[in-house]
Amino acid sequence: MTHAEMSEVYELYALGVLEPEAAAEIDQHLRDGCEHCERHVADAMGLVAAMASLAEPESPRAQVRERILGVVKPQRQRPTRNWMYAAAALAAACAALIIFSVSSRSELRHMRERLAALTEERDQLRSAVQILSRPDTRAVGFGRAGNAPHGRVLVNRNGGFVFVGSQLPELGSNQTFELWLVPASGAAPQPAGLFRPNAQGDSVHVSSAAVDARTTKAVAVSVEPSQGSNAPTTTPILVVPLA
Amino acid sequence: MHADDSADSRIIEQLRNRDPNGIAAAYDRYGRSAYALFVRITHDRAAAEDLLQELFLRLWDRGVKFDSSKGALGVWILSIARNLAIDHVRSAQTRFSSRLRSMEHLESLCFGDHPSGRESRITDVRSIQEAFAALSADEKRVMELAYFEGFSQSEIAANIQEPLGTVKSRVRSALGRLRVALGGNKKP
Repeated sequence: MTHAEMSEVYELYALGVLEPEAAAEIDQHLRDGCEHCERHVADAMGLVAAMASLAEPESPRAQVRERILGVVKPQRQRPTRNWMYAAAALAAACAALIIFSVSSRSELRHMRERLAALTEERDQLRSAVQILSRPDTRAVGFGRAGNAPHGRVLVNRNGGFVFVGSQLPELGSNQTFELWLVPASGAAPQPAGLFRPNAQGDSVHVSSAAVDARTTKAVAVSVEPSQGSNAPTTTPILVVPLA
Repeated sequence: MHADDSADSRIIEQLRNRDPNGIAAAYDRYGRSAYALFVRITHDRAAAEDLLQELFLRLWDRGVKFDSSKGALGVWILSIARNLAIDHVRSAQTRFSSRLRSMEHLESLCFGDHPSGRESRITDVRSIQEAFAALSADEKRVMELAYFEGFSQSEIAANIQEPLGTVKSRVRSALGRLRVALGGNKKP
């Protein structure tokens, strides 16, 4: 294609509807460093992105913002002019916390358990972000809105997988959910972790088990006794095909 | 530089510094647009919230590499959002082979080596809405199928049972008019 011909298709390229051969030619042209086309493709990307405003206005629930901001944490702190005040305030808060905690052993135990749970949740979410950020991670959705279980399974061949579920059914006190990797070979499902959702039926579970989508047919979830099982003892409530 | 551009530049600097305020600011600026896009494409509010979380965690992960002089934050967010949503729908509808660009390819297009200055277009909502409203019904239909459904021109032709040439003509005409509405030349 000449530049004149390319100028006719920048928006088609940005929209993703250009024929694959022509798109590949522009890809290569951009890789070769044509600044003229880079500028015009950037313009076209802007135009296409602006089309998002054609969607009817919608607002997510406030909890979504809290959930997202609860995961992201600063990795490096920069000292500020007010750090001494902050440190003093922190020390005062710690002292108050200690006094409060010591005043009640049961409160202290409860807070420790809560801290351990939050720490575990934080570590899980960090691992989830790492898996999510890998370029070869695949996402597979399951279920639909409403009261039925739904969510996503994010699979990485080397880095494990993440199970994100919502509206999961309530468990008995002596039960747990168990994840299974179902081999394509027809062999027995392999256990891949236990989890219990929160009171709202939501759960994010990260497994370090390597999942090769070529040899693993599906990820399944079944209800098992609280200590887990070596093989499913109930019919899975979810089977998410990876193919 | 447009005032909105400087807001994006500030957010990018915060993301580069791993400052969570950058995610909060980006969410407040683009979260509703992205969510509306997710709902429009998936027709599923629960899935839209999951995708919104996935989008901003991805932004948090990638933002440290962004360069405010080389890219457009809003374009990145809404382009990735569209890809995520269409990919989500297609993963549930195996009748489509995935023809979407990879996320990495899309990201390189949004934050490549080209100069920035495109953010203002994202905020030029009224212009594109007015231009879209002025399109013919046939042009609107093909653009909706292309943008929200991620259909190729061949898939659009099959869907509306019109010749491929007619579809191509409508898509080009519609894009040309939208381009003019956003201040571009009719042909660059």
